[in-house]
Amino acid sequence: MTSTTKIVFSNPRYAVLGFVIFTCMLVGLLIMSEFIFLEPYVVSHLPTGTETAFVLIVIISVFSALVLPMNIFRINILKKSKQKMGGGIFGSIIGAAAGACSCGPIGFAVISTFGSVGATATAFLTNYETPIRMVAIGILIVTYFTTVKSLKMECRINP
Amino acid sequence: MNKKGLLIGIVSIAIIAGIAASISVSDSESVNLDMERTHGTISTAMGSPILGDPSAPVTIVEFGDYQCHQCYNWFHNTKPAIESQYIQTGKANLVFVDMAFLGNDSPRAAQASYCAEDQEMYWEYHGLLYASQESKIDGGWADSERLKAFAFSLGLDMELFESCLDSGKYSKRVQYNTQEAREHGVRGTPGFFIVGPDGQQQLAGAQPFSVFKQILDTMA
Repeated sequence: MTSTTKIVFSNPRYAVLGFVIFTCMLVGLLIMSEFIFLEPYVVSHLPTGTETAFVLIVIISVFSALVLPMNIFRINILKKSKQKMGGGIFGSIIGAAAGACSCGPIGFAVISTFGSVGATATAFLTNYETPIRMVAIGILIVTYFTTVKSLKMECRINP
Repeated sequence: MNKKGLLIGIVSIAIIAGIAASISVSDSESVNLDMERTHGTISTAMGSPILGDPSAPVTIVEFGDYQCHQCYNWFHNTKPAIESQYIQTGKANLVFVDMAFLGNDSPRAAQASYCAEDQEMYWEYHGLLYASQESKIDGGWADSERLKAFAFSLGLDMELFESCLDSGKYSKRVQYNTQEAREHGVRGTPGFFIVGPDGQQQLAGAQPFSVFKQILDTMA
């Protein structure tokens, strides 16, 4: 498991890609969840009672940064199917969507555009923010292990 | 002649009774609004009563929703410091304006706060709503029965409160406030305008106290 991860990330292209995905997801989700503000000053804060949401965002960002480059490696280097890539992208997207709506500008835009349907959708994403993020992490973990297993077989790595 | 006198008497009694009834109704359901009240470019006439000294040099206008989690965070994490350091010291005051958009219970909760204002308990009711907020939007914590239970726990006159809430007396007021928020480009809750003698500054989100302090210190 460690060897396959090392093989992928020993290639600087994939290491940089992983770093970029991690940074973009982390900063993006922290801004959407109001842990970071850009205006009028760049400031970060962790309000009491929001620690779980913060930890889940970090975990989702870490796994997205692991899974997505590994799958791109499979597709580019080994010319394998894009099937497993779907799990990584799906997990990342639902992990990002949960809680991103709520009372912020995204939720406001969705409700203003789609009316009561949008309100129901944003309420669902807000009410079940933690379970949805946990499911997203579950999907990313499963995708990670299946990708590692595939890479082991496809690269014929002996751990 | 007697008939004429009787008729005049009946009409007089009816007029007096009508005037008495109208005075009685307006006492119990009066709307204490200053329609001219503005802060900066924002009409706060339909908003909350002013928290703090009305003549304070700076006004914080908060647009919020009682079901919004970030409003809850701001209420519990940032507002106490603003209240103790700026509002209680007379450096600033605060007006809450509803932007009730998150769920079906949001407008009703906002209306309930004005029904409490009828009995001069607006800020107590406002605080109780944010103290009682639960994690689920439209999960029942702010439905009609719970809103009445909150009023009961504050010792409000329940007959007046229920009549006010059930009649939708303040539905237009809440709609007006929400429209005011949209017209001022508020795109989420909580949203703030800090209005000082030399202008106003918009702030989006449940920003920490340090940000408010920086702005308030430059304006006060």
